[in-house]
Amino acid sequence: MSENSRALKLAEANQKLANKRKGAKEKWGIVLDTSKCIDCKACTVACKMENYVPVGFYNYRIWVAEDTHYAKYPTVNRSFQPSQCQQCENPPCVHVCPTHASYKTADGVIMVDADKCILCKYCMTACPYDARYESHTTEAIDKCTFCYQRREEGKDPACVETCPPKVRVFGDLNDPNSEASRLLAENEYTVLKPEKGTRPKLKYIK
Amino acid sequence: MSLLKTKLNRRKFLAYSGGTLAAGAMASKFSTIKAVASEHSSRSNSSESKNVPSACAICVNMCSLFADVKDGVIHKLNPNHNFFKSRSMLCARGNAGAKVPYDPDRLKKPLIRAGERGEGKWKEVSWEEAYDYIVKNVMKLIDKYDNRSSIAFASTEGLQEEFFRHLTSIVGSTNSVRHPTLCLASNIQGYSSVFGTFPDADIANAKFVVMAGSNRAEAFITPDTIDLAKNHKEQTFVYLDPRATKSTALADKWFPIKPGTDMAVVLAMINIIISENLYDKEFVDKYTHGFKELANHVKQYTPEWAAKESEVPASEIKWMARKFAENAPASVWYPGRRSSFTANDVYYRRACGILNAVVGAWDRKGGLIPKSGISLKSHEFIFPLYDRVKNRIDGGKVDFAGEVLPEYIKSNKGMPKDKVAYLSESDGSWVLFRDAILKQKPYPVKGMFIYKQNPVESIPNRAKTIEMLKSMEFTCAIDIQMSDAAWYADVVLPESTYLERWDPAHNYGGAAPIVLFRKQAIKPLFDTKPMKDITVDLAERFLKEDDFWTDAWEEDKGYLQEYVDTFKNNSMEKIIEHQVSGHPGAFKMLMEKGCFYETDKIPYGQTLKEGARLKTKSGKIELASVRYPEAGLHALPVYQKPSEAPEGKYRFVVGRHAQFTQANTQNVPYLLEAYGHYENMLWIHPKSALKQGLNDGDYAIVKSSVGEQKVKVHVTEYTRPDTVFYLHGFGRLSKWLSNIYKVGASDAEILEDYAETISGNALLHETFVEIKKA
Amino acid sequence: MSTNTTTMDVFAKNDKISNIWLILTLLVSLFGLYGLFSVLINGHEAYGVTRTVPWGILISTYVFFVVSSTGLCLVSSMGHVFGIENFEVIGKRSIILAIFTLLCGFGVIALELGHPFRMMIYNVISPNFASAIWWMGTLYGIYLVFIIIEFYFLMNHNHKGAFYAGLGGFLAGISAHSNLGAVFGLLEARPFWHGPYLPIYFILSALISGSALIIIIFFVAYRSPSNMPEKVVKVLKSITKIFGFLIGILIFFDIWKVITSIYGAPPEKFEAVQTLLSGQLGVNFWLFEIALGMLIPFFIIIFTKGKNIKASLVAAISAVIGIFYMRYDLVIAGQLVPMREPAPGAHVQGALPNGLVSYTPSFTEISIVIGAIAFCAFLYLMAEKYLNLNEE
Repeated sequence: MSENSRALKLAEANQKLANKRKGAKEKWGIVLDTSKCIDCKACTVACKMENYVPVGFYNYRIWVAEDTHYAKYPTVNRSFQPSQCQQCENPPCVHVCPTHASYKTADGVIMVDADKCILCKYCMTACPYDARYESHTTEAIDKCTFCYQRREEGKDPACVETCPPKVRVFGDLNDPNSEASRLLAENEYTVLKPEKGTRPKLKYIK
Repeated sequence: MSLLKTKLNRRKFLAYSGGTLAAGAMASKFSTIKAVASEHSSRSNSSESKNVPSACAICVNMCSLFADVKDGVIHKLNPNHNFFKSRSMLCARGNAGAKVPYDPDRLKKPLIRAGERGEGKWKEVSWEEAYDYIVKNVMKLIDKYDNRSSIAFASTEGLQEEFFRHLTSIVGSTNSVRHPTLCLASNIQGYSSVFGTFPDADIANAKFVVMAGSNRAEAFITPDTIDLAKNHKEQTFVYLDPRATKSTALADKWFPIKPGTDMAVVLAMINIIISENLYDKEFVDKYTHGFKELANHVKQYTPEWAAKESEVPASEIKWMARKFAENAPASVWYPGRRSSFTANDVYYRRACGILNAVVGAWDRKGGLIPKSGISLKSHEFIFPLYDRVKNRIDGGKVDFAGEVLPEYIKSNKGMPKDKVAYLSESDGSWVLFRDAILKQKPYPVKGMFIYKQNPVESIPNRAKTIEMLKSMEFTCAIDIQMSDAAWYADVVLPESTYLERWDPAHNYGGAAPIVLFRKQAIKPLFDTKPMKDITVDLAERFLKEDDFWTDAWEEDKGYLQEYVDTFKNNSMEKIIEHQVSGHPGAFKMLMEKGCFYETDKIPYGQTLKEGARLKTKSGKIELASVRYPEAGLHALPVYQKPSEAPEGKYRFVVGRHAQFTQANTQNVPYLLEAYGHYENMLWIHPKSALKQGLNDGDYAIVKSSVGEQKVKVHVTEYTRPDTVFYLHGFGRLSKWLSNIYKVGASDAEILEDYAETISGNALLHETFVEIKKA
Repeated sequence: MSTNTTTMDVFAKNDKISNIWLILTLLVSLFGLYGLFSVLINGHEAYGVTRTVPWGILISTYVFFVVSSTGLCLVSSMGHVFGIENFEVIGKRSIILAIFTLLCGFGVIALELGHPFRMMIYNVISPNFASAIWWMGTLYGIYLVFIIIEFYFLMNHNHKGAFYAGLGGFLAGISAHSNLGAVFGLLEARPFWHGPYLPIYFILSALISGSALIIIIFFVAYRSPSNMPEKVVKVLKSITKIFGFLIGILIFFDIWKVITSIYGAPPEKFEAVQTLLSGQLGVNFWLFEIALGMLIPFFIIIFTKGKNIKASLVAAISAVIGIFYMRYDLVIAGQLVPMREPAPGAHVQGALPNGLVSYTPSFTEISIVIGAIAFCAFLYLMAEKYLNLNEE
């Protein structure tokens, strides 16, 4: 089976799973402590492996960027910002998709139904985070799905699981006892571009 | 001494050292198993396997993992959450390992050279043909030079390396050479001279950590990396490095220390700690030897002096010393790994060990912890004892040993000039070894087997390595990809990748030891074999050659046959079962959880108990070394000023990025794009770039006394103005590394081949380069 | 109104259209076949669009076509819907060109979309009523039906039918068109586009496009004012004056668009407008959009007081060229400010040292654009040559 068809199979399986989980009550989110991030890129490679994202410098679902504002010799203090699709609670990409290819699952994950996607790329211009890209394996728009296929096994998304210092914590934000919720309760946090009103579900602890 | 006695001594030596590493309790041996178990390790039904326990092979950490195999194809490698040593992670390289068996550039069939060495013309042959070629040439060399040691065996670590070491013993050569003297030999030596062992650091519990020159964020991702990152809010972490590597992301303070002067800081810290009475008197009295001499010795190393040497402010050095003592025993000067920096490294590492010792941060929570291991059952194979064997070429007295020393250290009384003081019998000293081969002293070495290692890119002064390979009459490389060394070989044998084979259980020693192993995740995709099979096959071939046995004892053939039968009649699974049979429930745990351990808690204080003895001559922590003066070395750590950069030149340092392992993985496209570039780039400070007329994105020629390379320029604030760097592993010579063939620059090409003569470790930061616009 | 139309009424040879022009436009449109085959073989990798600039020249060309179509319909509706008698004479020609420009626009968008056929299926069975593109697509579909019917009625001299169809076209056209503006204007992620400005601006722009194109096609039909009937000359003068008046308003719109994007340096808007004023799109903006698109036509019309139709032709051609660039600038400028800073590791595609991204249309895209424009001209020339487009 080729890489293309594996990617498509995964996309279809995720569609079915989203349907199956129509009654799910969770609100999935990721809490990040980027002060621990060492930019090892384990997450980006793990994501590509897990989700059949093909080789290509601009084919990626997640990224780790460097914040170069504190880079003046000799007082250098490097810091890194991992990010991906914010799985917004108010997702512009879902509002604008003409065919409902881009949709939100019951548990708050934004997915793309590869069958319905007409590749008009409206969602790409609508996304304030440059989180989406055109996949030549599924021939549809692709983006982070919080490794939705892992929901059934109860496993964390690949980026969360593989991270050496565990920068990301994945969890149910509706459950006050989840590790993610507790981290948010105990720490101040920010989100990216809050002024856009997207209500992202990636929360960055200060 | 009668001949008989000599032979017996050698036999014992060979039998016990065959397949073992020199340092630490890291040996895996096999047990004798009753015959008649069928061999099925390579025929296990892995196409239905869903989650197969295995271990990563991309770096020496061997993180245990579960291979997610779907329809016979490896989909992803997932971290093994039971394997506490990896803290539930798999790094970028480990993840990319899922694509290693499917790499289009990998070796698929045995090859024999069809053109000139290095031309790249190959003929695909059958294993039989390849074996014929090897056996014929091995015997030819042994006869021609009347010396089995005329064939060298070069390798690096791995769970199948011991089979290569067995092959070394089967052929009978004493010239084995491995990677530690390109890496951490001086580190092991320095710390061992203090504590009798090379310890781990309990970073998870340390409160004050100083890391110098080690780049935990970008070199191997070890538990220390993870603990530093996780604890960075509670821990004070001071980072000394001429470059602002990604480790600065975790550091509280970064000092761009002048290269080669780290020892000044350590000595000044010891000076403060002793002069301000901050040391652990009780600990020093009870557990150490030589404090009075140390105290006297460090009086000269004041913080003001150290500040002038290292360019770390004196106030900061004082602060570090006081904090180090205050937080003891949870303080650690991080030992690091690769220590192939400058000539005085062994003494520097001694000083680091001494620093920890004087504050009592040894074998206690948060300090340096001696390693321990889990004993596995072993089989003591008896390898043949041959007559036509000479001692190793870099061992004992070597007249030209002094030639590998940089000029400025030659006058240092604590640096031998005619031998390597503590040479490892299994590891050798690569730089000296290569010189010995080129000089053909004390005798010619004209054959070489290379397993998994890539000397061409790993040893400084690439031109010399190629000269060495070209001077060979026979070279056999065993690898999974066409490394640059394989490119210059005569016969290349393709090994099965780690995901395509069963590997024996391995005791990973450390503060908290753990056992790992590999189960075959997929059947070999191509015509490849694991090293084990190669050794067994070659052993069988040698058994058939009568002329091979003319200088052996009668029973030797029988012993080798026993070796062959052991592996032919027993699957690796059975072997593993026996290895762990001394621990009830271990095999089950291995198969289900992918690893075995008794506890994940560190057993602090084992060496501090009544009657406990360290593996030093005095049995205590040696602040002043007892055996060093006996070997003509300094008993105390004597500071040596590093070499000064000649006018207009820059010091070149070697370093890593987290996306690549040594020179191993640069060809992997997933890792290249994770790295963010498709070639390496020269780091140069803006002031220096201005001086050399270079702009970001220009190409420059970097030239040393042994070679030059063209490299792209990256102007950055992340390095000292006097220090330049470009990433290891690019600018390759093998066309079958298609993504990096002649792309970027090779550091091996420009690094001058220095070594120090205490541990024999190469010196990779002693090269000064001139830089011009291309 | 008689509905007995004879063949003579539908078809009429117009000898003023030389075959040379027909062949020329056909050949140039064949040039577009290169692009067509390139994208069929290589897929969308043949395009210069990137992850950061996903909408390129094909989108702007589509906008150019549909804006022209809508404009033609709106201007001509002054005659058939709103009963301004002077304007009745432009009916057939405007509508047939409105149909052809819309079809060519659809053709271009079909090549731009990854899955054009899927769109036709899922827009129907899985519609998203919150999506401006859905409304735009659906309404333009309805609009197309209306204007085809309108054309049919016009050719059959069924003025009542034409009225109702024209009214339908007018309403569908305005809704579809403002929704097209909303496609850009509803995106909070893109401050340069966001707001009510674009839906409004597009309508104004359509009227200008339509007016300009009408002037041009009548010259194509009659070759020179001396051949034009009195009615035609009169309406062209009216249209010219309206055209000039609207350009004046457009200049006013543009000035305020620029000022509100500079004043106080509002984030992202400021950088986007800078690409127009002094950046990558500088030449496009000043030479084509401002000079050719607005200032030259405006001053020509002012100085000739709209009475010189030949001068109006020059103004119209200048304006149409400028308008093509206006669409391109609008679509591209809104995407040149990336959503994420091009830092190391961010993998922002097309990043420039100044922190913006760049877009260059590929040869495939350009050939499709040229082919589509030429083909539209060819279709119109064919219609002009073989159909009776004169009003009685």
